[in-house]
Parts: sequence; C-alpha cells; structure tokens
Amino acid sequence: MSGPEPSLVSGTGSGLDLSLHATDPVPLELALRVGPLETLALVGRSGAGKTSVLKAIAGLLPGVGGHVRVDGESWLDAGASRPPHLRRVGFVFQSYALFPHMTAAENLTAAMDAPDRAAADALLAQVHLEGFADRRPDELSGGQQQRVALARALARHPRLLLLDEPFSATDRPTRRALAETIRELRATLPIPTVIVSHDLDDVAALASHIAILDAGRLVQHGPAADVIANPANALVRDLVA
Amino acid sequence: MRRYCLLLLLLLALAAPAPATADATPAIAAAASLRTALDEAAIAFRRSTGRSVRLTYGASGSLVQQIRNGAPYQLFLSADEAHVVALAADGRTLGGPADRGRNFAVGRLVLFAPPRSPLQVDSELQGLRRGLADGSVRRLAIANPDVAPYGARAREALQHADLWDAAKPRLVYGENISQTLQFATSGGADGGLVSLSLVRTPGVAGRYALIPADRHAPLTQRMVLLPGAGTTARRFHDWLLGPAGQRILSRHGYTRP
Amino acid sequence: MDWEALELSLRLAAITVLVLMPLAVFLGRWLATTPSRARPLVEALIVLPLVLPPTVVGFYLLAAMGPDSLAGRGWTALFDQGLVFSFQGLVVASVIVNLPFAVQPAQRAFEGVGPDLRAAAASCGMSPWAALRRVELPLALPGVLTGAILTFAHTLGEFGVVLMVGGAIPGETRTLALSIYDRVQALDHDAAGRMAALLLVVSLAAVALTYALTGRRIGTRVGP
Repeated sequence: MSGPEPSLVSGTGSGLDLSLHATDPVPLELALRVGPLETLALVGRSGAGKTSVLKAIAGLLPGVGGHVRVDGESWLDAGASRPPHLRRVGFVFQSYALFPHMTAAENLTAAMDAPDRAAADALLAQVHLEGFADRRPDELSGGQQQRVALARALARHPRLLLLDEPFSATDRPTRRALAETIRELRATLPIPTVIVSHDLDDVAALASHIAILDAGRLVQHGPAADVIANPANALVRDLVA
Repeated sequence: MRRYCLLLLLLLALAAPAPATADATPAIAAAASLRTALDEAAIAFRRSTGRSVRLTYGASGSLVQQIRNGAPYQLFLSADEAHVVALAADGRTLGGPADRGRNFAVGRLVLFAPPRSPLQVDSELQGLRRGLADGSVRRLAIANPDVAPYGARAREALQHADLWDAAKPRLVYGENISQTLQFATSGGADGGLVSLSLVRTPGVAGRYALIPADRHAPLTQRMVLLPGAGTTARRFHDWLLGPAGQRILSRHGYTRP
Repeated sequence: MDWEALELSLRLAAITVLVLMPLAVFLGRWLATTPSRARPLVEALIVLPLVLPPTVVGFYLLAAMGPDSLAGRGWTALFDQGLVFSFQGLVVASVIVNLPFAVQPAQRAFEGVGPDLRAAAASCGMSPWAALRRVELPLALPGVLTGAILTFAHTLGEFGVVLMVGGAIPGETRTLALSIYDRVQALDHDAAGRMAALLLVVSLAAVALTYALTGRRIGTRVGP
C-alpha cells in the first residue's frame, strides 16, 4: 500500500482510500486518501456536495459508484456495497441525530457491540460531560448534545471519524471548547478523520490536510499549510481569506 | 413498555375464542314479519324441548341472497312461497331441487296509522284515498317490493284499489317489514301497509284495518330446511307445524295454510 | 342488553387490532421511507375503504370471499365452512376496512422519526431490524397506538360492511352495532338505547385516550 504515512500506533491500518462517482442525487467526481493520522477538512460552499461525500463513505447514499476502502477493507467496490450498519464509522451528524428516547449514556451503549455502561461513562468524561449521563437529549444544551454525538461516534470503536459541520450551530466559546476536545481526542485516536465545513476558519487549526470541494469535484487538495499559502484559484482564495 | 404489554395481554384475553355454540344452537333465518311470533315460539320451544335456536330477521329476498352466498343458516322461514321455490330450484335446500319446503302459515296485510296521524284506516282504503287526494297523507311506508314479500303484496293491494299512481310519489320504502313499521310508528310516515303480525307487537300504538285477502296474492309463509340442518333445526321445523307452534302463530294473526 | 353481541364486538375488535398492528407497523414504515414510485398507489389503496361507501366495500368483499370465489373455495376446502357470514370472514373484512385507521397514524409516526435518526441508527451499527426495534418503533409507538385505538373503536362501530359480509347471525356475526339496529327494528327502544349509550361511552373513551396519548408524545425534536 502506498500513500499515507505508516502508523505510529499498533493496530491501525492504511487509512481511507476513496473514489466516488455519482450523478443522480448529487454530482460527485472525486478521489482522495486520508491517512490514519490525518485530519482532513473538506471545505466548500453550501451545495458543493460535502455532506454527500460523508454519506457516501458511511454507505448512506445509494447509487454511488467508485470505491471506498478503509484499512484495506473494501466497503464499496464495483457496485458491491457493504450496508451502512456493517461499516465501522463514527458519524457526527450536523443535526446530532441523538436518539431522543434514550439518555446520553444509552445513546452511547446503543452504538456499542456489547453495551458497557462503564465505557460509556468514560467516553462521556472524555468529552467533558461527567454527570450528564442520565439526561435525555432534550435536557441538554446544543453544545452538550453535540458532545454526546461525538462520544457516541467513538463508542463503536470506529475505523473512521466523520463530522458534518460540527461548528455551524454553536457560539464562539462553545466552538473553541469543541475544537479543543476534538484535538485532544485526535491525539489518542489514530483513525482517519474527515471534518466537513463551509468555513475554513473554523477547521483550519484542526486540519492537517484541506480539500476544497466545488460542484462535487476537488478544486485543491493538500497539506493545510500549502493550501492556505497557495490557493489554486479565486474560489479557494475566497474560502481561505 | 410494561403498559403496552398489559394492553397486549388485555387484547389477547378479549380475542380468546368463545366456546363454540354453532352446532348446539342452529342459526335460523326468518322473514322480518315473523319476528314477534318466532321470538315467542323460540321461547316456548326451548321450554318444551330444552333446545335453543338463533334467529336472524330480514327481508326474505335479502336472506335468500345471504343463503346463496353461503350463510350458514339451517332453516329458512320466508314470508312467501316464491323465495323458497327459487332456493329449491337452485338445489340449495336440504333435499335438493325436489325439496320445496312446507307452508306453515298465511299472513295478512294491514293499513296502519300511528296515533295523531290524519290517515283514516279502513279495509277498502277509502281513508287513504281521501288522504292522498287532499294531501293530508304526505308519506306512506311500504316495504321494498323487490326484496320483501309484504312490500310486493302492498303494491298489489294499492294497484287493486287503483291508488298506486297516486301513492307512488308519497311512498317511503323500508328495507324489510320491521323497518317499514318503524317508519310508520316513529312519525316518519303518516301510515303504512304492514303485516298484521307486527302491529300486534306489544308497545305498538296506533290503529289498523285488515286488507281483505283477495286484494293481493296470498302471503303464504313457507319454510325449508337447508343443507347442514341438524337435529334442533329439524325439530323446530316440525314443532312449528305442530299444535303448539300453530297456536302461537294464530295468536299473532296468522291463519293456517 | 345483548351481552353476546357486546362480547362478539369486543372479540372482533381485539382480533382486528392484533392482526392489523404488525401489518400497520411494516406498511407504515415502508410507506414512510420507500422511494418507490408505487407508493402513492399503495397509499390510495389503503385509504380506499375510508372514501368508498360501506356497501361498495361490502359488495366487493362478498364477491371476493363468497362461496364461488377463489378465497371462499380455498377456505371451505381448508376449514369445511364458508368464509362469508362467519366470524372469520368478519375478521378479514374488518382488517381490510380498518387498514386506513391503523396504517395512516403509523405512517405519520414513522415519517416523524426522520431520515437523520435512521442514518444515525445505521451508523451506530444497528441492522434495519434492530433500528426498527430499538429506535424507530419506540419513537413511533404513540402513532401506532393511536392507530390501534382508532381501529378498536371503529370496529365496535362498523355497520354496513359487517352487515353485508356477516349477515347478523346471533353469536356469530351479530355485533353490537347490528344488535342495536335489530333492537330498533324490533321496536325495543329501551335495549337499543342502552346499547347505543354503551357504544357512545366506549367510543368517546377511546378517542379521548387517543388524544391523551398523542398529546403526551415523546419529543422527536432533534438538534438545535
């Protein structure tokens, strides 16, 4: 396997190898790789197809061609598609999509192969939600719900972490705190991570790599510093500015 | 969740099958005009034999349709002969086409008027003639002639008196003779042509006049055992033809065939 | 009071609900999520018993289940009795007539769950079956239950189809609604009045219970 740098942590694989072709729900035409230690910021204006890329990776977008390989395991290839529940992804939805009838801890255990309350409590502590384990989503603030969603995404021991616009609906202090939490988690979690955002500012500090998406195609892709320093065109310049 | 399980248990308890009674108490279909007479007959029959029957009343024509469609009646009592003969012709009687049942009574038609109705009742229908002419009789109830024998006989009686054309726009049609009487007693109609057997029902208030039997085809009541008839149905059939049954029928205004 | 008819009506209503609820869950879930182009047609077919006169529904059921029909012949071959004018035939008719009452609230409830929660359930590793059991059904339960109560109440009150398909045989197909009609025809207004009042109270209680349940619906609001 070529591409991503070799893992420094035992048990991790070769990362995400992605190539997508789609026309029907949204046009998509792109290929990229994300190494196990990389955090890719997928940036573009609204309607560029960012969320569709995440859904395609997670198997939630029917009718997509191309391939999705994670750690050498094929999730999508030549039409053979693994159903979403058998793809080990941690997905943080823009709407959080917490199960409203379950407590925070139950939301986490629901995502585990074997429900483990102690593990759920530990994960909630990792996202700084000690003491909120038995609250239901409607008893939590928006920022707290998002942290539960993040912890739930990790509860499955994912091979891949996908975050859809995590910074879109929160105020500045909450945003900063969340970015800090994600940074802490990334340090202990060597899995490829894709963060979708319409605003490069929000994710620039977190991203090791940046991919600029427009109308379903990659406009520029590379290490974060390179993209910020050498925008490929006016669109990227606008987003970087 | 426990609440929902309790609900489910309750539903299951309600759905539990009831003990089967079909064989012991046969279902019997009877013309609506026979209701009061047969209700009394069923009680007397149970008292003397210990056996029960389940009676369903309707227009004879409607009941024939049900029997043709497979309704599990064991005995059919019609308000006329024609419906029984038609069933026999289809081979839907116990003994096949040859089994055309037995006549067991003859019914009579009456002109009935509820209390406070402007309709004057008389055997020659003179009061009805005046009421229709001066407009005081706005509604007259008869049973649907297409399915109810009493309806067909009522039409004949009106035609015989040369009143059919005058009455036709004022007629309201009951689905069977019970409903027709109900129209007349509830004030929905100023009067009606109904069966003598029903106007004698306790609780029915009003005046009535017997229509002479020669003004229409006879209302010969005929019954026939149906395929699958068991012992109880057969015994009820025979009991009705016997003295106890005939006594009850005559008390309800029926004459012997 | 015709206790036999009351018992028959309750039994019919309970069996109808028991048969219809699994059907309503799967049909409602399918209708709420399918991209199939057949969906409007299926929805229309389910609502049909609601918009057609009972006589039309009864007529077609009689034709479809009668002794000369395929279903009727098959039934008779299996159980040695007719399907129409029997309690079993009444159950079949009742299930069909109540389809809209059971399926529509279930469908609305499953629509209320939303695509995000379904996606989240899948991303949490739940198979479609597990997602239905652990996420969708608990959230849709008030709607499913509303359908069950409406079905129960409507079965108690159904008249036209039951009369045409069942024929009002005491202890077999004469339900409470038919017994009331029968008592009115017998000019026994006291008994008719008592049974009508009972039916009124039961129906009122059922509908009030439905409102109470849907008013206390578990919040399906997600995210900000």
